[in-house]
Amino acid sequence: MDVALLVQVVLNGLMLGALYACIAVGFSLVWGVLNIINMLHGSLIVLAGYLTCSLWTEAHIHPFASLIPVGLVIGVGAAVLQFVLINRVVQQPVLTTLTLTFGLDMILYNLMNSVFDATPRRVTLDLGRVTLGEVVLPWDRIAAMLVALALTALLYGILRGSRLGRAIVAVRMDREAASLMGIRVPRIYALTFGLGAFMAGVCGALLSIVYPITTNATGQLLGKAFIVCVVGGLGTVPGALVGGLALGVTESLGSHWFGPQAAALLGFALMLALLVVRPTGLLGRKGYE
Amino acid sequence: MPEPLLRVESLAAGYGEVQVLWGIDLEVMPAGITAIVGSNGAGKSTLLKVLSGMIPSRAGQIVFAGRDVTGAGTDALLAAGIAHVPEGRRLFRGLTVRDNLLLGAFLRSASRQQLARDLDRIYSLFPILADRRHQDATTMSGGEQQMCAIGRGLMAQPQLLMIDELSLGLAPRAVELLADSLRAISREGLAILLVEQDVLTAFELSESAYVIETGRVVTTGESRVLADDPRIRDAYLGTV
Repeated sequence: MDVALLVQVVLNGLMLGALYACIAVGFSLVWGVLNIINMLHGSLIVLAGYLTCSLWTEAHIHPFASLIPVGLVIGVGAAVLQFVLINRVVQQPVLTTLTLTFGLDMILYNLMNSVFDATPRRVTLDLGRVTLGEVVLPWDRIAAMLVALALTALLYGILRGSRLGRAIVAVRMDREAASLMGIRVPRIYALTFGLGAFMAGVCGALLSIVYPITTNATGQLLGKAFIVCVVGGLGTVPGALVGGLALGVTESLGSHWFGPQAAALLGFALMLALLVVRPTGLLGRKGYE
Repeated sequence: MPEPLLRVESLAAGYGEVQVLWGIDLEVMPAGITAIVGSNGAGKSTLLKVLSGMIPSRAGQIVFAGRDVTGAGTDALLAAGIAHVPEGRRLFRGLTVRDNLLLGAFLRSASRQQLARDLDRIYSLFPILADRRHQDATTMSGGEQQMCAIGRGLMAQPQLLMIDELSLGLAPRAVELLADSLRAISREGLAILLVEQDVLTAFELSESAYVIETGRVVTTGESRVLADDPRIRDAYLGTV
């Protein structure tokens, strides 16, 4: 086997995996803290991608400039949605919130199809490439990977080291005891959901630089987030990171060896294997929910 | 006679169709330790839960520091100065001792330096917590966890610290240590309301006490007087 080719394939996988990690980390946060399997996650990513593309083509706003504002718009919108709507059923069994977010996802998905359309679109930046011997790395992918990793690290820092982060973890671990600390639990739910959506939004903007984005991909993106959570371990940022990178490399190697049609299949196979061998995920702790 | 810090009048509360508290009258003075004793299911924990806003009251009035706080939420009551150390300690798993303590100060808008000073105060009160500050709080022994839970309550800088079941499941040595710390804290001017199943410990530790049975106050008075009351001795202390 050609070593340079293998290195290329693995590096492609890591660049993809960083985006997967960033996609999954928000989904995982919401699942872990609110016990909501957020069916909207994929559509929020696509919505952000569409907004980023429109801002680029209509107003020539660079994706790296619109990234954070787009994420904030999505995040604030989601936080309001959580506060006024989802909070009403958040204590119900997981099937109830899953059904609600599924319904909301249908609305958003169809709204995007009628306001925009399903045609794939992409921001083409053409930033050139880095060539290391026979290995070629496009700058736009490197940049997307670095931003995705930086934002994942930032989320980790917020959760581990800030007052808000402590409150989020406290609510996750013991809602009642958290309220005894004076923490307003519904508000933390809204902020957490908003934070998860912000991460989705930023990922959508990053994805639009690297891949064509379309509403047809919402289900796939949701599926990736789901796989990464199960593989890496639910509700932890390092888990999402490891799971994301593992999925990226698996898909990249899989499509190299078995063809691109096998990539999606391999992701789910990886998830099933993990469920049999290590149901808590690679970094999941037993009893850590 | 000084004004009581907390005055509860004909308080009623319960869960669903079950009424647990039936017209509780209670006063807590601004300093010293007040105990609430009574058998299992008498309503002691329910009373604390109403006082910290975890469950709503159905009738009656709660006046704290001269203000009517009836119906206030958990955050408003904590901000007013009532901290609740819940039964079973309820420390946050996955978070360090330090993070647990800092969560006690969640509502306060204190500076970093101020919080560091407050943490040092807790560490000097319970030196073992200083050694364990970077450890997951729920991996400590029961006594150490209770210290952490009390420390977390103190980080809110309350005027009234309510502790539910101080001694439950703890070794006698740990209970002695905690009792000494509570005496020291109360001497510094903090009011403590202690719910305790171990009546002997409760009477030793407190100045005054309330005896609750089936959601009603049946006796109240100075703890040392109650401890000598033959009726109480028969019912709770198991002495002949």
